[in-house]
Formats: sequence, structure tokens, C-alpha cells
Amino acid sequence: MLMVIVSGLAIGALFAATALSYNVMYSTSKVLSVTTGHIAMLGGVFGAYAISALGQPWWLGLIAAIVVGGLFGWLTDLIAIRRVLARSDEHLWLLSTLALATMVQQAVGLWWGTEPKPFPRLITQDFSAGIADQKFWLPIGLAALMAIGLEFFYRRTMYGKLFLAMSEDAFAARARGVSTDRIRVASYVIAGSLGGLAGFAAGQLTFAYFALGLTLTLNGFIALAVGGLGSNVGALVGGLMLGLLNTFASYFFGGEYQQTIAVGLLMVVLLVKPEGLLGAQNVRPV
Amino acid sequence: MMQQAQPSDAIVAPASLSASVVSKEFGAVVALNQVSLELRPGEIHGLIGPNGSGKTTLLNLLSGYYQPTSGAIQLRGEELAQASVRRRAQLGVARTFQKPRLLGTLSVLDNVVLGAWTHVEPGFLATALGLPQIARADRDLLDQATELLHGVGLSHAIERRANLLEHAEQRFLEIARGLAMRPGFILLDEPAGGLSNDEIDHLGGIIRTISDAGIGVLLVEHHTDFVFRVCDRVTTLDVGRMIRHGRPQDVRNDPEVIRVYLGA
Amino acid sequence: MNTKTRLLWIVPGAVAALSLPLWSNDQYQVHLAALICCYWVLIAGLNLVVGYTGQLSIGHVGLLSIGAYTFAILGGKWGWPAFASVAVAGALCGLCGLLLGLPSLRLPGFYFAMATMAFALIVGEFVLAQGGLTGGGVGLPVPGFPPPFDTPEGFYYLAVIAAVVASVLTWNVARQMYGRGLIAIRDNPVTAQAVGVPVFRAKLTTFVFSGVTAGIGGALFGSLQSYITPDTFHFELSLFFFVCIIIGGRGSILGPFLGVAVLTALPELVAPLAKLGNFFYGLLLLLVVLVVPEGIGRVFELIAQRLRPRSAVSVPVAPDLPRLARAIASIQALK
Repeated sequence: MLMVIVSGLAIGALFAATALSYNVMYSTSKVLSVTTGHIAMLGGVFGAYAISALGQPWWLGLIAAIVVGGLFGWLTDLIAIRRVLARSDEHLWLLSTLALATMVQQAVGLWWGTEPKPFPRLITQDFSAGIADQKFWLPIGLAALMAIGLEFFYRRTMYGKLFLAMSEDAFAARARGVSTDRIRVASYVIAGSLGGLAGFAAGQLTFAYFALGLTLTLNGFIALAVGGLGSNVGALVGGLMLGLLNTFASYFFGGEYQQTIAVGLLMVVLLVKPEGLLGAQNVRPV
Repeated sequence: MMQQAQPSDAIVAPASLSASVVSKEFGAVVALNQVSLELRPGEIHGLIGPNGSGKTTLLNLLSGYYQPTSGAIQLRGEELAQASVRRRAQLGVARTFQKPRLLGTLSVLDNVVLGAWTHVEPGFLATALGLPQIARADRDLLDQATELLHGVGLSHAIERRANLLEHAEQRFLEIARGLAMRPGFILLDEPAGGLSNDEIDHLGGIIRTISDAGIGVLLVEHHTDFVFRVCDRVTTLDVGRMIRHGRPQDVRNDPEVIRVYLGA
Repeated sequence: MNTKTRLLWIVPGAVAALSLPLWSNDQYQVHLAALICCYWVLIAGLNLVVGYTGQLSIGHVGLLSIGAYTFAILGGKWGWPAFASVAVAGALCGLCGLLLGLPSLRLPGFYFAMATMAFALIVGEFVLAQGGLTGGGVGLPVPGFPPPFDTPEGFYYLAVIAAVVASVLTWNVARQMYGRGLIAIRDNPVTAQAVGVPVFRAKLTTFVFSGVTAGIGGALFGSLQSYITPDTFHFELSLFFFVCIIIGGRGSILGPFLGVAVLTALPELVAPLAKLGNFFYGLLLLLVVLVVPEGIGRVFELIAQRLRPRSAVSVPVAPDLPRLARAIASIQALK
């Protein structure tokens, strides 16, 4: 039973980290990118590649995951967001990020293979460690660090405050001389790095698997919507709820209806509180 | 100092579109404060006021985009406040927009004929099956729309893609579309914005033709000269309050109106 | 494209298509053409949703799956007559469209897309889980149709008939008032409301219709495959349908049709593309979105515009007030 809880928290932490990535990118661009789940996938795959295939030490794998994630975030902005935001058609970014997500997923599938590959151990530990296994505690710890780190970033640093200003009113921010383009690019790089890190931390849980991207995009989004778009605490709450629901449902009913149950949770929450549990009432997602 | 309503304005004519003592609050902001306005069939009624006076808010209340915080919106005596934008379109309330809202990928003609939607209310199945009455109705509406386009002066652009239109053409297109709705009332949101003097003259002619046909025209405008020239009655707003309404010559000479426009 | 240009495309294409089994010795080509028709039945309906109403649904593979499995179960397992099974498949998928559309169509764009994607994944889960009904991971055989449609050529003609019906139905909607209303919903919902278009009802109706076509297309598709497994309905198929429409151009019937014909045939003709598979579709979608968001059809239109002499003089607006008065009077008289 404890195992169910701990594994639920662990996978929930990954969902929460994805939801946090969504938030960071959304705050500066008002865009929900389909590539969000793929960032974590890249972190896991490249981490595994660096450590297992290239035989590098774990911390190099970590750096690789962060760098690749950040790079992909930057790429997302460059290719799918920048040119598209300028146009008047509201939903072009949905198509462009969808296209980019497909490309990256397929490319990784072609290069890495379509079978989930095991992710290496980062800290020497017995495989019979049970609930103390690092594959649970790495993602949980990371998600907590992420949330705290973002909170600190937004409240205590100048740059973070610029982010908040831009998310509240981009027009006013620009009028005050803030370089909104640069901030947006920075936010995508940050979201990418964090996502890559999250994928690396959760790698032992999810395995290095090319198809993780799309399911994580969806489940991370469900976590986001349940918790409330724009709220980082909501992202944590939503993610953990979803993760726990997942593992409990698997435990009691078998793991065949994971997606159905996740969506069921979303529908229940949205029916009761359409803006999410901790969402602001007037946040209008596009 | 608020101008008291004149006795002759106190009774709302039965066939009018009216706002009676409406207020609209957005949180702590009071956009409109107990404003009344009556638009009679066949009259040209101007609505002027500086930026932020609440003109667009009042227009949005009449056309159904906002609900009043208090007060009544009525059409021919019936309470309208709960009626949706769509319902008001069916009841014959048309409007144009401050920034023209066109369907860029469609032709000018298609844009106008879309206005006649409520008079066809096509069903999906009937349309898909290609029933002759749908085709016949479409042909008739296209003919009528073409006539309207000739009337407003867009003969040369009938088949053109709407996103290739010049600014004045876009404005006149919106008016033609509004007319295609067979309205009892048409609410124009700053239609003279960006027009040359010649074009404003044409606009005046069109507005007069519309009102002669018995349609009530609400003209929300910044071009006060234009308003005083064409309108039968004028209402002036300032910071959400009505400060004067009546005949153009009375309003333009009102000291309060002059103060508001020339600054204290 | 005006009617004359369209006919120039359609007539020879139609002749070639209808006579295909006669001049092509290759069974595989007939199979491919039939596949295009099956896809098109679904895409024609989806086109109204994506290309005209602007609802970005990426989950229609789920409906294709339900259509195919329903047909396989009713016609194959339970021995129902083929055409009755197709009809039920269509109706069931229409119902699914209704159930999916009712809560999701009110949601903003990204939410809606995610809801449709979730739907497709959920259908996949059900198919795998309900092994007793669907054969689970092993799959099901799919029956064929009674004569004269029981040969590959016969089936091809059945598929062509279905494709033509789908084309005519959607073309009727697209070119008349309803289609204009849909485009208004896509490009300027405020305008749509202002002229009285019932926005939600129209969205839902087209979505349900797209469900019906997906169900029928799915039944035909399943029959063509003759054996279906959950893997037959991978999520990327949904993307493929979607890409055909966007690339072919929104607001067009011919565009998406050319899109599906070309994108289905291309990997067969250009072998390296087949290996790239869905990467290629993603790349194509990205290029179109960044360079010609209105679709490739628009490129042809733009070229035609450049070639046609344009008058540089802008004609001033010159109202004809008496004519306007007459026009208004005749309209008012109709009220």
C-alpha cells in the first residue's frame, strides 16, 4: 500500500513538473505548447544516452539533460512561437507546436528506437530498495525543488519579477521598456531546462521512451487544468492528485484504464470548478 | 450638473429600442451611471462624449454584449437585458464595430449575405442534401446582397476577397452586412473613423437613406461636426453620465457640453 | 479557384479514378486508391470541423477505430448484414461525436485539442481492455461486402461511391449559407454571433456529422484492411488526417482531397519518405504553418493573382442612394 502511495507521488511529481513547465511558458507567451511533454522525454533519453551509451558519469548526464531540454525550449520558441505570435490567427501556435512535437517524437523514435530502454542508476542502490528506491525520490525531490526554486525566482529576483509583470500585462510591460521578446525566450529556455531535468530525474520510473512525450503533454496538461492554469501550487496539487489517482486505480482496478481515469478526474474537477482547484477565476486560457 | 430630461422625452415611444436608467459596473469601475437613451424608428440618434465616457459600453449594452448592472434595456416595450446577441440579431438589432470585423478569406458578397442568416436559419441536413429551397433562398439573398452593395458604393469590389479592401470599403461593407440583417435598428460604432471628408459625406448620405427607410440609426462618433450635421437628436455622455440630450443645435450650444469638450 | 478551374482538375481526375481498375494491372494501386477513398470519407466530414468551423480536433482516429470495430463485431462476430453494420457504425460514431462534443466544444482551443486527443487514447484503452469483445491485442478479422462489392475492384467502386457522397454532402454545406456561417465561427466568432449564427449548435452539428462520416469511413477502412488490431489505429493517423486538411487548405473541399490523395500516395512513390513516416508529416505541417498557413491551395491562388493584371488605381466608394433605398425597401418588405 505504501508502495502505491510512493509511486503515485513519484509519477505525480513528474506530472507536476510538466505542469510547472507549462506555467512558465504560458506566463510569458500565453501559449500552451504541445512540446511540453517532449522536453522531459528528451531529458530522459539524452540522460540515458550520455550515461549508458557514452559511459559518462551521472552528473554529465544531468548536464546533458538540462542542456538538451533548454535547447529544445529555445528551439520551440524560435520555430514554433516567435513567427507565429506575430500573426493574427490565434491558433497557429497550436499547429506549429503540434508539428514540432511530432517531428521531435518521430525523430527520437527513429534514432533511439521505439522500445523503452532502461535508465541507468544514478546513485548506487540495490534494486530491492522498495519504497526507498531512488526512482521514486528523485522525481519527488526534484519537483519540490522546482516549485521552491520558481517561487524564489518569482518573488525574490528582479528577473523573476519581470516575468510576473509580463504575465500580468505584457502590453504594459513592453510600454515600460521591458524587452518582452527576450524574456519570453528566457522563459522557454528555463522551462526547457527544468523539464529536461525532470525527465532525467524521473527516468528510472518512466524508462527512456520516445512515446513519453505525447502522453506527458496530455497528463501534464490534465494536472495543470486540475490545479488551475497559472498557479504553481495548483500544478503541484494537480500533479500529485493525478499521480496518486493513477496508481490507486491501477492497484484496485488494474492498469488498463489509466487515461480514462485521468480524464475522468479532469472532468469532475472542471465541472465543479472550471478554472481548476487553485486557478484564478478570470484567467482566460487560449 | 446633470441635465434634467425634457418632458417630451419622458415617454418612450412604443416601437423604440431604449436603455432606461441603466448602470454598468465593472468591479469597482462605474462605466455608466443611470443613463437613459431612446432610439426611435427612422431617427438618426447621435451618441457623443470624450474617451472613456461610456459610449461603447452603452452600445454594447444595447447590442447584447454586456448585461446592465441595473436598469432596463427594452425593444418595443419588451425587456431585452437577458436576450443574447444572437436573439437580438433575430429581433432586428444590427451593429457595426469600431474595428471592422470581416471574414477576410471570403468575398465581399459572401460577407454581406451572411447578414441574412437569421432570415434563412439553414438546417445542416437540408443544406447537405442540396434541397432546392435552400439553393433558391441562397440565390435570392445573394441578389439582395448585391443590390445593397451597389447601394453603398461597393459595386467595384463585389467579388473581391474581403481582406483586400481599403479601410473605407471595410466600413461600408459592415453597414451593408448590417442592412442585410433586415434590422429595425442599426447601431454604428464610430463608422467615420479613418474616413476622408468625401467618404464621410457618402456615409452621411447612406445614413440618411437608412433612416428614411424607417430604420433607427444610433451613431456613436467622435466627429462631432458630422454628428450635429446628420442627427435628429443627440445624447452626450461624460464619465458615464448623460449630460445633455436633445436636438443637435441645443446640445452643441449647451455650456456643459462645451466645457466637457474644451476642457475645464 | 473558380468553377472553371475546378472542373479542369476534377473531370479528368474523376475519369481516371472511375476507370482505374481497367487500366491499372496493379492490385496494389487499386488498394491504395480504395484506401484514399476510405480516408476521404472521414476527412470530408472532419474538414467541416477543422477547415470550416476551425475546431482543431486531433482525435478522430478514435472514431475511425470505433467505426471499424463496430463493423467487425456486428458484421463479423454477430453475422449482421454488411450494410446494416455500416449504418450502425456510422450512427454509433455520430453518437460518440455528440458525447465528446457536448462538453468539449465549449472549451478554448488547446483544451479542446487535448480533449480530443484524450478521447483517442481512451478509445485505444477500451479496445485493448475489452478483449472479449474486440479481441484485445490480437485483433479481429473484418468481413467484406456482398456481391458485387466482394472483389477488390468491386470494393473500390463502393469506396468511390461513399467518397463521392461525402464530397457532395460537404460541398453543399460549404458553398451555401451554412458554410459561410461556419467560416464566420472559425475566423470571427463575434461576427458570427452578431449576425445570429447559433455558434455552439453549429459546432456540435458539424462535429456529430464528422463522427458519422468517421464511422462509415472506419467501417470501409476496416473492411479494406480485412484484419484490424489496436495498432492499426495509432495516434499518428489522427495527425495524418489533420495534416491533410491543413495542407490542402482550410475552407476548401478540393484542397483536402488533393491533400489526402497526395499524402497517402507519396510514401508509396518516394521510398525514403516511407521510412521517415510521421516525421515527414510533422515537417510538412510545420512548413505549411510557417510559410503558407492558408494551405497549399492558397499558393496557387496567389500565383494566379500575380499573373492576372491588377489595376493600380483604387476606385473610390460611390454610393447609389436611390438604389440603396430601393434595396432596403424590398428587403424590409420581406419581413
